[in-house]
Amino acid sequence: MTDHVTLTIDERTVTVPKGTGLVETAQAAGIEIPVFCYEPRLGPPVGACRMCLVEIEGMPKLQAGCTLTAQEGMVVRTARTSPLASEGQNSTLEFILVNHPLDCPVCDKGGECPLQDLTFRYGPGNTRMTFDKRTQEKPIPLSPTIALDRERCILCYRCTRFSESVSEDNDLVPLNRGANTVIGTFEDQPYRSRFSGNVVELCPVGALTSTQYRFEARPWDIQESPSVCGLCPVGCNISATTREGKVKRIQSRNHPQIDEGWLCDKGRFTYGHLTAADRIKTPLLKGEAGFEPLEWDDALDQAETLLRAGGDTVVTAFSGTESTEQAYALGRLLRAGLGANGAVLPEEIPTALDAYRAPLSSIRDATTIVILTRDLVADRAPIVDLWVKAARRNGATILTEIPEEKLEDAVLISDNAAHAAWLAQDIDAKSAFYLPRTPNGRGVADAWSAAGDGEASNEEPRVVIVSGDDAAADPAVRALAAGADFVIGIGLFQESFEGLADLVLPATSYLERDGTTVNLEGRVQRQRRAVIAPCPDELAWISKLAERFEVEVSPHASLAFEEISGRIYGGVSFAEIGEQAPLPPAAEKGAPVPAPKPVQVPVADGLRVIRYRPLFSGPVVDRVPEVEFQKADHEVGMNPADARERGVIDGDMVTVNSRGNFHRFKARIVRDLPAGTVRLSTYAEGDLTEFVAVRK
Amino acid sequence: MSHKQVVMAGTDTRDLTKLAEYEAVGGYASLAKARTLGPEQITNELMASELRGRGGAFFPTGRKWSFVPSPEQNPNPHYLVINADESEPGSFKDNEIISRVPHRFIEGCLITAHAVLAKHVYVYIRGEYLGPYEILVAALEELKQRPDLRGDVTIVVHRGAGAYICGEETALLDSLEGKRGQPRTKPPFPAIAGLYASPTVVNNVETIATVPAIVEMGGAEYAKLGVPNSRGTRLISVSGHVERGGNYEVEPGISLKDLIFAPELGGGVPGGRAVKAVIPGGSSTVILTGDELDVGYDFDSLLAKNTAMGSAGVIVLDERVCMVQLGIRVSEFYEHESCGKCTPCREGTRWMTQILRKLEAGEATERELDLLLSVCDRINGKCLCPLGDTAAMAIASYVAKFRDEFVAHLDGGACPCGDHSPLDGVLAPVAQHIHDHASELVPA
Ligand SMILES: Cc1cc2nc3c(=O)[nH]c(=O)nc-3n(C[C@H](O)[C@H](O)[C@H](O)COP(=O)(O)O)c2cc1C
Ligand code: SF4
Ligand code: SF4
Ligand code: SF4
Ligand code: FES
Repeated sequence: MTDHVTLTIDERTVTVPKGTGLVETAQAAGIEIPVFCYEPRLGPPVGACRMCLVEIEGMPKLQAGCTLTAQEGMVVRTARTSPLASEGQNSTLEFILVNHPLDCPVCDKGGECPLQDLTFRYGPGNTRMTFDKRTQEKPIPLSPTIALDRERCILCYRCTRFSESVSEDNDLVPLNRGANTVIGTFEDQPYRSRFSGNVVELCPVGALTSTQYRFEARPWDIQESPSVCGLCPVGCNISATTREGKVKRIQSRNHPQIDEGWLCDKGRFTYGHLTAADRIKTPLLKGEAGFEPLEWDDALDQAETLLRAGGDTVVTAFSGTESTEQAYALGRLLRAGLGANGAVLPEEIPTALDAYRAPLSSIRDATTIVILTRDLVADRAPIVDLWVKAARRNGATILTEIPEEKLEDAVLISDNAAHAAWLAQDIDAKSAFYLPRTPNGRGVADAWSAAGDGEASNEEPRVVIVSGDDAAADPAVRALAAGADFVIGIGLFQESFEGLADLVLPATSYLERDGTTVNLEGRVQRQRRAVIAPCPDELAWISKLAERFEVEVSPHASLAFEEISGRIYGGVSFAEIGEQAPLPPAAEKGAPVPAPKPVQVPVADGLRVIRYRPLFSGPVVDRVPEVEFQKADHEVGMNPADARERGVIDGDMVTVNSRGNFHRFKARIVRDLPAGTVRLSTYAEGDLTEFVAVRK
Repeated sequence: MSHKQVVMAGTDTRDLTKLAEYEAVGGYASLAKARTLGPEQITNELMASELRGRGGAFFPTGRKWSFVPSPEQNPNPHYLVINADESEPGSFKDNEIISRVPHRFIEGCLITAHAVLAKHVYVYIRGEYLGPYEILVAALEELKQRPDLRGDVTIVVHRGAGAYICGEETALLDSLEGKRGQPRTKPPFPAIAGLYASPTVVNNVETIATVPAIVEMGGAEYAKLGVPNSRGTRLISVSGHVERGGNYEVEPGISLKDLIFAPELGGGVPGGRAVKAVIPGGSSTVILTGDELDVGYDFDSLLAKNTAMGSAGVIVLDERVCMVQLGIRVSEFYEHESCGKCTPCREGTRWMTQILRKLEAGEATERELDLLLSVCDRINGKCLCPLGDTAAMAIASYVAKFRDEFVAHLDGGACPCGDHSPLDGVLAPVAQHIHDHASELVPA
């Protein structure tokens, strides 16, 4: 076996593939090499903490095990069998602890702290430190979501390495030198990064803590629910920590093909929306003075009446935040019960793309990546941005324009599904990823088609169902609703439906439901109920309502899924999806996709306006004050060349002239923005024309 | 007694900072000769010369060059990086080389660049060395007018910002890349993945300044100088309590006693005082007592005494010096300069200083003296780079060799040397390291 090596660790013989790290090799032999700084996801080992010292036969000094790879015939002794290694590890812990505050009783990490655990296993039982310990001001707010306790920091540099070589924001850095080294940000600016929360999970001690979780729970009074984030189409695998029926934090549950253990801050820090002040808990009916609560029986009566009035003209507008089962249940009710086939679906995804399906992790190994709208990636699907950055660090070429010459094995990432299907074929892409706008738009579309067929009515809708708070915020949906006689809303937050709906039925959040979602890879994943919703489950009342129309809809997500799966997912069951969902294989390439009609970009003076939805926006984010600081300012993003041409530098105030209407914005230089365009969040005020002039 | 000069040859009679003067004594002839030779031949001459690095680690220079992969093996550009960070207390030889024979140094750079296939040379010079920096830049200005000499090689001088650790070659490379100056784990060694992850040779100023002579006289001839394992000449910085502090170029193997007492070298101790101790190779080396001066100043002889030539900084301490105060001063230096990357050095050097201060104040017990030794022992051999290891070894050697003096400080005991321990001429205390001054000199 030339691709394997055999070595001895603590007298045990172990064979591993060549290149396996010594820490992993020992693990394979059932032996622990303790570590603090070692974290392969952060790049090559740095050998900083010296926790992993081992003795290697033939080497005079102790070696940092984490920096070595297994070699043929190597003889390794860990603290178990080497007094020297044992002394070395004990020394490291003694040095870590000389100035460590040992305020475990009030430390959030207590009970799940590697420093506690390793000290217990390898460290000294007593202190020989007779001097006052180094003290620091604490905790320091790194940002509204993260607190830093410099006394507890053991300077493993995991957090700063994350900032430097994973999120590449370079905002978190070590300051000063030697024993005075501390972690901080430049000039104490808040640590503002889409991914900042990951450092809390990376920190092996209680130095970086979440302000939301601070003093909220101890490891022995919490429960973990394995689930999937429902806030964007990546579908990161999460573990929701709950205590006494309340969500206390969201952590990653590393799915190596999807998220590699990283989450964005939206997924991590916005669970506070569950307890928003305007959370809808009972049905609401529009009255003289706004909404009034309604008994459930009355609500179902009302709903039935309205639906019957709407008949087959009812149109359902989805948000893409629904679970596939919820969308299916609604679909059955409306399509089978009323023959109402009209729907506003958030996404339409050509099946042709299924032939280019691949796990997100494959982006990391790409040699060429084509992304026509690089600037959009991080806002639509944050984790994809990390995969692209990892690819670039590995030497991949990132193209934001399609080159003349032929590409080989290119990976395509696009925000335009129809165009992507054609382009993938045209450049003979190895794989292609479409970035949907919504978390489960794909599953919703699948569910709607699985729920029935038949054409939508040509008549103006008499009733519009607005499903979800995002749909309620969509101007197109609101316009549609304005023309209807009645509007039924289903959502989380009362404010979303104020002035819009006549009847509102409460919805559950993704943390409160069982069900499935389909992520941007086309992977069906399971969400699990982490906490009980303050209202009945949608499936329960939809099933009751459906009965009135003589349609059978299961109130159980697993049964609903079985039905859907039988129709469109090849019959896989909940159990088969499991906790780490597999990716279905890529489909066979089908009929050639015709070229889309070229988008006629009108020739006009000025810059084309791109409206985008910033990651930190939307009804859920709006209800979590801690992430307010993350929101994109109302800025106009400009390409560096366009800015230079106009003498604009980052942070300048500029005037945007939209056919004689003037708006003032702060300019932000966005390197990845295509030349000739400006970028504004969908929330930036100003009804802008497609082309605008910008000047200082 | 006269001493063979190689690196400083010609400086007694001429101002070799001028290109014309240097050429008048045959300067840049070695470069011309080297260019007629293939890179491999030059490396072979270096191997034959048995030249070993003058930066402190004493690694065979020819061997180091031979590790550089061929362009077929690694298509990245090759770099030559010169370590002129010279910050070890007691060492000031590179200062003099750059100040007095800048062209010989540059010639060495150009020959080495040729030998290791580098088109880019970076000289990382200690930030406080403003004088030598200006001389070097002036010499490079002269070189600009001489494309025949310079060829297609670019030499960039980069000024450090006041960190001793940036003399450690991998920290230097990180610093040069614009990162925080902290050592990297090795392997990969710089020859394989150094500057910008490309093949890089890092050499000391003196090493490089020796190269022209080796090319000129041939490796075998050079290897006739000195003693086995320590060939050639070395520029030794003699400082502390001697009449004639300064740099002296000598052949290794000379006795330490001669270095200190010979009239043309150290010239003896002022006032005829006795030598109490000598730090033989810069502050990172194990101390020798006054009784141990009959030792050859070369690798093998000093190794037999468990110490080393290091960066060739001989610090002479006379009978008035308090070893505890010396310990504090040295320990404070390492505490101050520890980069903070690895735990034992970062926390251990601080702890060492704390214990030493308590000892000096007469507030420590015997247990704490043992604790000090235990702390040294627990640092030594566990650090990421040699800074921490050598700091611990040096301090431990003071206690081991002058234990009685340390014991005299215990339990309310007073310093036998009183308040008059004359260290100020010996090693500057950390508080006097003028970083502000250095930063003023960096143009904004
Ligand atoms: C803490 C520390 C400081 C060092 N400082 C210097 C220095 O100032 N100059 C130097 O040439 N080498 C210094 N070195 C040695 C370098 O790491 C490296 O070995 C040397 O530059 C190689 O050149 P040479 O082979 O020509 O000696 C230092 C090493 C350590 C560990
Ligand atoms: S804050 Fe935590 S992760 Fe960062 S260096 Fe300190 S201990 Fe490590
Ligand atoms: S990247 Fe998307 S799925 Fe992942 S945590 Fe963020 S919002 Fe949730
Ligand atoms: S030994 Fe000291 S200087 Fe060297 S890496 Fe460790 S902390 Fe930095
Ligand atoms: S785990 Fe190996 S040095 Fe930190």
